[in-house]
Amino acid sequence: MKFTTRELVLIAVFGALWGAVEITLGSVLKSLHVPFSGVILASIALLILLIARLFVPKRGSTLFVGVVALLLKLFSLGGVIIGPMVAILAEALLAEMTLSGLGVSQASFMLAAALGLVWSLAQPFITGPLLYGRALVDVWVGVIHKSAQALGLSPESVGLAAGLIILIYLAAGAFTGWLAWRLGARLRARNALQRA
Amino acid sequence: MTALPTPSQTTRRLPLGVVGRVSVLLGALAGVMLASPRQLPWVAALAALLLLLTFRYPSLARLLHPRRLLFLALLALPPLFFLGARDRALGPLPYSSQGLTAALQITLRFVVALMAVEGFASTVEISELAGLFEALGLKGLGFSLGVAFNLLPALQESSRVTWQALRMRGGLRRQKRRAAVYLLTTIFASALRRAEEIALAAEARAFSPERARPWPLTLRPADKWAAAGVLAGLLLLLLGR
Repeated sequence: MKFTTRELVLIAVFGALWGAVEITLGSVLKSLHVPFSGVILASIALLILLIARLFVPKRGSTLFVGVVALLLKLFSLGGVIIGPMVAILAEALLAEMTLSGLGVSQASFMLAAALGLVWSLAQPFITGPLLYGRALVDVWVGVIHKSAQALGLSPESVGLAAGLIILIYLAAGAFTGWLAWRLGARLRARNALQRA
Repeated sequence: MTALPTPSQTTRRLPLGVVGRVSVLLGALAGVMLASPRQLPWVAALAALLLLLTFRYPSLARLLHPRRLLFLALLALPPLFFLGARDRALGPLPYSSQGLTAALQITLRFVVALMAVEGFASTVEISELAGLFEALGLKGLGFSLGVAFNLLPALQESSRVTWQALRMRGGLRRQKRRAAVYLLTTIFASALRRAEEIALAAEARAFSPERARPWPLTLRPADKWAAAGVLAGLLLLLLGR
């Protein structure tokens, strides 16, 4: 991965933007226990990440932005939390793999953002059992089973609800990707005009 | 006047460089993740001892922040009531003995993971990590990180000013969607303008990532032993499962 000075500066700026969002907005949302704060943060992060790829269209640049944001978060005030750091790295890695595999296009942007948002939903269910043991899965299954029983719901309807939530996340991700593409194009045009 | 050293600074630590410390961090995390329920108490105790010998720690109050305790409670309490049959009781409250074992295991894993990440972040310098990442192929990361760190306050300030300017003009009350697009466009445009200025300044000083001095990577003789020891320990753990 070789980047020019200008590209490294752009990576730094987008990494700093993401880091600033994680440190300020992320800390506030988590402290206030705002519902769906993970989705809000992941959407903004993916927006920044994807626009960064438009300005530095090279393999590895998306991951690079993620590493900068990760290190800023790791050394920020307010304590170290493993979850957000895993999320930053995973979202950057997913976006990098999608954009490197499919190339930079509106469709790949939408797919990368959709995958990133679904990851934010799935992350606790993947990292939780990995970090804290498989007993967590049995507990979650038990909680869902008993809640469904208490509400008089069938197992099929629980599955349907989970599917619906995943669909909503996919749609929100696709919208984020579309917005990143549009906003990035507008910013590039504006930037080109200023430089001319 | 020189500041008095804190208790953690006066305590001697293992003489490890960044590679050794990363090995200990990853080893501790992998150890508790891979350990079987039977192995877990020993592995957690060993990992905690190794972490205490390797890293400096902030105050206990910071480690046991209420938010972390709440998170631990959310992880460790449900198994008591939702895992297995409730065959025991604490006063009027029935709980499961199988759940109690799972809750203790979750707590052990949580404590080691917290000690590993918090100790690592408190001990390792950001320049050391940048040096390590550069050595792993992310050339120019040190430069990018330096720029990002210096830019953080300016970006936060410009985002705040943009937000307030938009709010004072009533942009957030009417046409919310358009206001959101204006907000994002202005923040990004301002960040890009700063990037342009920094890039021009760096180029004017003939800065080039290829010719730039790499960030120092502190390697100590004990690093090799630490990495080898962690690998051997993990291998033994897997064989003994």
